[in-house]
Amino acid sequence: MSTTRIVLVYQSLLGIYGDRGNSVVLAERLRRRGMDAEIIVVEPGDRVPDDGHVYLLGGGEDMAQISAVRALQKDGNLFRGLDKGAVLFAVCAGYQILGKSFTVGDNDEVFQGLGLLDVTTRRGPRRAVGEVLHAWTKPDGTTTLITGFENHGGHTTLGSGATPLAHVQRGVGNSGDGTEGAVQGKIIGTYPHGPVLVRNPELADHLLELALGVELEPLSMPSVDRLRAERIAAVKAG
Amino acid sequence: MVRMARPRLRFARPRPGILGKAHLGAAVLAGNSAAYASKLAGKGTGASIRGKVMMTLDRRALDKLLADRRVAAVSGTNGKTTTTHLLTAALRAFVADPDEVVTNADGANLHHGIASALASQPEATIAILETDERVVPSIIAIGAPEVLVLLNFSRDQLDRNHEIKSLGKAWRTALADAGDLGPVVVATACDPLVVWSAEPARRVIWVDTKDPWTQDATLCPACGEVLGRQDGRWSCPSGDLAQPQADYTLDGTTVTDPVNSRWPLELQVPGRFNLANAACAFAAARVMGVPATAALEGMKTVRAPSGRYAVGTFNGVQGRLLLAKNPAGWAESLLLATTDPMVLAVNAAAADGRDMSWLWDVDFEQLRDRHVICTGPRAQDLAVRLDYAGVEHTVVPDLLEAFADPRLRKVEGPVDVISTYTPFQKLRKLGGLA
Repeated sequence: MSTTRIVLVYQSLLGIYGDRGNSVVLAERLRRRGMDAEIIVVEPGDRVPDDGHVYLLGGGEDMAQISAVRALQKDGNLFRGLDKGAVLFAVCAGYQILGKSFTVGDNDEVFQGLGLLDVTTRRGPRRAVGEVLHAWTKPDGTTTLITGFENHGGHTTLGSGATPLAHVQRGVGNSGDGTEGAVQGKIIGTYPHGPVLVRNPELADHLLELALGVELEPLSMPSVDRLRAERIAAVKAG
Repeated sequence: MVRMARPRLRFARPRPGILGKAHLGAAVLAGNSAAYASKLAGKGTGASIRGKVMMTLDRRALDKLLADRRVAAVSGTNGKTTTTHLLTAALRAFVADPDEVVTNADGANLHHGIASALASQPEATIAILETDERVVPSIIAIGAPEVLVLLNFSRDQLDRNHEIKSLGKAWRTALADAGDLGPVVVATACDPLVVWSAEPARRVIWVDTKDPWTQDATLCPACGEVLGRQDGRWSCPSGDLAQPQADYTLDGTTVTDPVNSRWPLELQVPGRFNLANAACAFAAARVMGVPATAALEGMKTVRAPSGRYAVGTFNGVQGRLLLAKNPAGWAESLLLATTDPMVLAVNAAAADGRDMSWLWDVDFEQLRDRHVICTGPRAQDLAVRLDYAGVEHTVVPDLLEAFADPRLRKVEGPVDVISTYTPFQKLRKLGGLA
């Protein structure tokens, strides 16, 4: 099988919460199964490749969001990559810019997003900061927990085109309505950092299976199991 | 002609009258007894409690304590404590009696901690104050510092400071409001956010520290364009902001001043970033009228500011403590830590920042040929990071137990220990250093 290309988009704009970790996790989980993987780091000014398998966007500040939207629209290759069947996984600020619109700054100025997800983000009544637990129903119908750390001022509302990724057990999630994240085809947005794929290996493998169209063998990483157990227990203990 | 900073014209600040002083005196006494009680109870130095009681009893306690003193404030994400110690040492080398200089040496850098330090030395005429980034605007307004040192701005505790730029915005407003009565700012020319924040000051002394950390400065803080970088200098493509010409330049261990004199920095504190801190402290000392040679002699004496780089004994093993609080700090500390194995201690209490995602912004891959002992309450988060980085490691969450590893006894000299804030403070105590 050929090399899987994981594209880390505008790390220096949307990557302030260790979001690059998501790319490391995806690549390593393939390599440890004997498969080839390559992380392609794209910075503003560089061309986004149109042949990625998984595109990743992470967290960032207001001005970085606007800058990223402009650059991605001008470049156009993210859209081409998605047309070819790639997976797009976006966290926090990266999730917000995929929507129809989002607000930035002290005056809540509204900006148009990339329009890839049927979601809208507006400033919420108070900032959501803290450890979260969300119930995620996997494609096979079983449910598992997503653990992570949310830190966002925006509240996101889903339109009819998008479905929630998970349901909130602890934390705020999209807007305090009990939903977390959004899924639309092969595009997934979510709030938690951690980075989220580090603490949630099943979600990482789901993205890879979605991108490659194959079922992956289980991969044992005891250190990750211990961390998951520790964080889930800590949040449940309150 | 080279322009040197002129001392600002002294202006008449409202001074506390007799009644005001009596009020303050009572507040200070009450604060002292509260601090004593807190210390007896084993709750630290009592500095913050003392300040809190004082400021509750006398709302204007801090204003009064700052009045009639020459004040220098030191702020920035990394290096505040060490730079404050360096600047204090430079001043003390120059004044007749070291007690003329008061400082919050313990790093209690919010209003309460600052008030507490000032109250402990009422006769000191010069105050060198480590100042939290969030407190800088109010110290500019009420303390009328003659010098403000702005070191750097990088991501740190994002669960609390959501946008580092908003801190810079508040500094700009405070400096603009202070106008001609504001401080001379000594600021790092390499950091775009520092430059933007310092810009409105009546006079800025720029220091080129050759800081290699650029990960928190992608966009122009003024307009949001992606900054260009050429020959190690940055500029905004729209022309809003560019790296200023430096007044002081650091080259290796030598600082060149505005009249092109070159001064060697001889420090006991290690690392490139401490040379940068010293270059800023040196410039600030010069602005305050300290001759270069006295400043350099003073800075030479600083060895282990608030436990940083101090060597203690932990479970029979000698360890050298290095503090790292954020990705920029870890990048510098990892360069200094050379032992194999080494100990890394992490936690996510409020003072560490509750979100540990920063672990993934640190290049732990550089430790691949060494063994790491992960300790502290969040050791498992670090273990997963190291697992993915391919670094061999052991997990021992208990701080003292971590030093029982027999491999540590084979290390020649002290074992390097890098720690986030709260384990660092615990280690200081455990190692008999605080």
